Amino acid sequence: MDVSHDTLVALAKSWGLFYLIAFAVAVVIYAYRPANRARFNAAKKDILEQDDRPWR
Amino acid sequence: MPELFHRKLERTAIGFVLAIIAAASVGGIVEIAPLFTIHQTVEDAPDMRVYTPLELAGRNIYEREGCYACHSQMIRTLRDDVERYGPYSLAVESKYDHPMLWGSKRTGPDLARVGGKYSDLWQVAHLTNPRSVVPESNMPAYAFLERTPLEMDDLGQHLAVLRELGVPYTDDMIANAARDAYGQATPDSDFATGVVKRYGEATDVSAFDGVTTDVSEMDALVAYLQVLGRLTDAASREQAAVAPHVGGNGG
Amino acid sequence: MVAQLTSSERQYCAITLILMVIVGVAMAALGKSDPLGVHGVIVIVYSGVLLYLVLSAFYGPEPQEDRQASYYDDPIKVGIALSMVWAVFGMFMGVWVASQLAWPNLAFDAAWSTFGRLRPTHTTGVIFGFGGNALIATSFHVVQRTSRARLAGQISPWFVLFGFNLFCLLAVSGYLIGVTQSKEYAEAEWYADLWLVIVWVAYFILYIRTLARRKEPHIYVANWYYLAFILVVAVLHIVNNLAIPVSWGHAKSYTIWAGVQDAMVQWWYGHNAVAFFLTSGFLGMLYYYLPVRAGRPIFSYRLSILSFWGITFFYIWVGSHHLHYTALPHWVQNLGMTFSVMLLVPSWASAGNALLTLNGAWHKVRDDATLRFMFVAAVFYGLATFEGSFLAIRPVNSLSHYTDWTIGHVHAGALGWVALITFGSIYTLVPALWKRPAMYSATLVEVHFWLALAGTLIYVFAMWNSGIIQGLMWRTYTEDGTLTYSFVDTLVAMYPYYIARAFGGLLFLLGAIVACYNIWMTARGAPAVAVVGDGPAQSDAAPAPAE
Repeated sequence: MDVSHDTLVALAKSWGLFYLIAFAVAVVIYAYRPANRARFNAAKKDILEQDDRPWR
Repeated sequence: MPELFHRKLERTAIGFVLAIIAAASVGGIVEIAPLFTIHQTVEDAPDMRVYTPLELAGRNIYEREGCYACHSQMIRTLRDDVERYGPYSLAVESKYDHPMLWGSKRTGPDLARVGGKYSDLWQVAHLTNPRSVVPESNMPAYAFLERTPLEMDDLGQHLAVLRELGVPYTDDMIANAARDAYGQATPDSDFATGVVKRYGEATDVSAFDGVTTDVSEMDALVAYLQVLGRLTDAASREQAAVAPHVGGNGG
Repeated sequence: MVAQLTSSERQYCAITLILMVIVGVAMAALGKSDPLGVHGVIVIVYSGVLLYLVLSAFYGPEPQEDRQASYYDDPIKVGIALSMVWAVFGMFMGVWVASQLAWPNLAFDAAWSTFGRLRPTHTTGVIFGFGGNALIATSFHVVQRTSRARLAGQISPWFVLFGFNLFCLLAVSGYLIGVTQSKEYAEAEWYADLWLVIVWVAYFILYIRTLARRKEPHIYVANWYYLAFILVVAVLHIVNNLAIPVSWGHAKSYTIWAGVQDAMVQWWYGHNAVAFFLTSGFLGMLYYYLPVRAGRPIFSYRLSILSFWGITFFYIWVGSHHLHYTALPHWVQNLGMTFSVMLLVPSWASAGNALLTLNGAWHKVRDDATLRFMFVAAVFYGLATFEGSFLAIRPVNSLSHYTDWTIGHVHAGALGWVALITFGSIYTLVPALWKRPAMYSATLVEVHFWLALAGTLIYVFAMWNSGIIQGLMWRTYTEDGTLTYSFVDTLVAMYPYYIARAFGGLLFLLGAIVACYNIWMTARGAPAVAVVGDGPAQSDAAPAPAE
């Protein structure tokens, strides 16, 4: 293998951190986007409606 | 942007699947990938030898009986670990271990360096009935190992598979695997010399269970236990040179 | 079971089962006297019995009604039943092995009954048998109800369910005859592992196709957790179990991983089996059955999304905390520790979300044992995840590792969280499935609750004590700097706790047996001609008492 151990370790340590931050930002934006509020509210209430038949 | 992206992902559940894989794979890649270049950094052990066929058969019995559920084979870099069990374990010492048997629980003591610590006779008595030599022990009795003849015919196939996986067994070792297994447990037989020739002077040739006429599973398991920690002396060499680097919480 | 299938579907079933019998014959022929041969016979018998069931109903009347107008509940009912059978088996094995540690002669000088062989029958029995069947059954229920669509397949749910149970059977029977890879929580050998891959792919396709049928625009969060469970477990299972068999006629294989790589791969698998098998899927249960039973929507949907991605992202890093102070490189150990601590945030967000959902409905928690199961499960989830992060800190781990503290921690999670949320979900699900207003006996649910809680507490406290005592004894030094206690000294100190632990486990097992009886009586009492999809609204899922 041509890649040296130190390069791989350095890459793993830095890239993993950037990935984590980017991911966290994307998730927070998705969760708090006002446009999503209605869908989330609908989703959390809909499971309590128990008609027990598939919708057609 | 991310919102639009996510909405699309959600509509087609496949996109959502990809997002889960993207989230869940990175940690594994980061931690595991560098381990494949680890040979560049870890200790070297040119004197390291491979398991003989009999020891390998014993190792397979150790796995089969689930010994790893109660015995670790990993001495940590802690003062009390080192003082109780010997020099701390090095990565190189398990480089031929498919799988590794580091274990996760010590209901019984660590076995990483148990080889040579007790006589063959003690090991056989202990395995046959642990409470005959350690009255307080809660280990199961393995008397049936003595009653069970060791399956040796296919050991060549075992060695061949391990060679495919990178363990340096020679053609000679593979061709003579069954004979060597027999020879290692029967010191008076003609096969005994072949084992030493192929695996080195340090090989422990002995009638492990005291019966010289046949080879039982007890022979194999004791042969394996007696070689634990003795495939290389890299650990004692390294740690004799440097004062033990010991974790801060050894007591 | 077969009555709901058309005649062409029955043919497919028969063909599949005949193929499985052929595979079994091939295994028996190749394996001969090897344990592989024994497993060939088990495959033949298992597939043969199912084939008999299909053929005996082969020419029965075909279903007349429009099947798409109703949910597919038969596989769920069978899944719940299998789950409870495995629960009793796995917990019995647990009590037995626990007793062997206190009274070692309970192995009776046989090979199959030694601790080392029985211990994986306990872990596989409860994790995969009990937990796995419960996950499959509840996921089938949740995905249909939240998608408002029927399962996307008539045969594949059965294939997934019976295929998975064949895997469990091969695994557990294998340990008894000495077949094991010796990888913890992945002991089953190569052919069983290959089979599980096939089953799991079928499960994944079924789940994805059902979601694609959904009438709701949004995928409810419980499904995210189930999906992460299905997906990530597949990846973990495949990577960890890569192995080369000695030959096609050998049950024995050698893993392709060696030494330190194998250690990392195995604990990457091992801890994520905890994460994605024992946490993610069961959080799916929590996010559906807890709100339904409480009759209240989840406290914060956004929080559930944040914690989902947090758990999915963080968990995968933490496996290396099982390898502190070992030959694994130091920086990997530190990464594992760091992420383990960070994991507390999304974990407590989930636990808090569950508890806040109950805020304002405490009278229901007081009166309804089913809801109380789920409440206590959420509490134990919070405790166990805190303890997990704590134990992952290197200096703490130097004390706890290799001792019973780890066992206590695992069981705080497995008994207190996984089993209690499962029982709570099953008690919510069973009356709904069998169209009954409530469980056969609310008193027996109550009895089960207290047995389970008492058993868990006794177990966990015994193991905390024994683990900490042993860890401290191992590192106690005399004044002249030598170790005070021999290993055997520290073992002798464990015996009282081993006896207490076996007793705690016994209480938990008794609770599971009570549950089996209660479920059986509830199912048996169902109206004889229950037309599927014709029951009253599923309002009975919400608790009746004291309102």
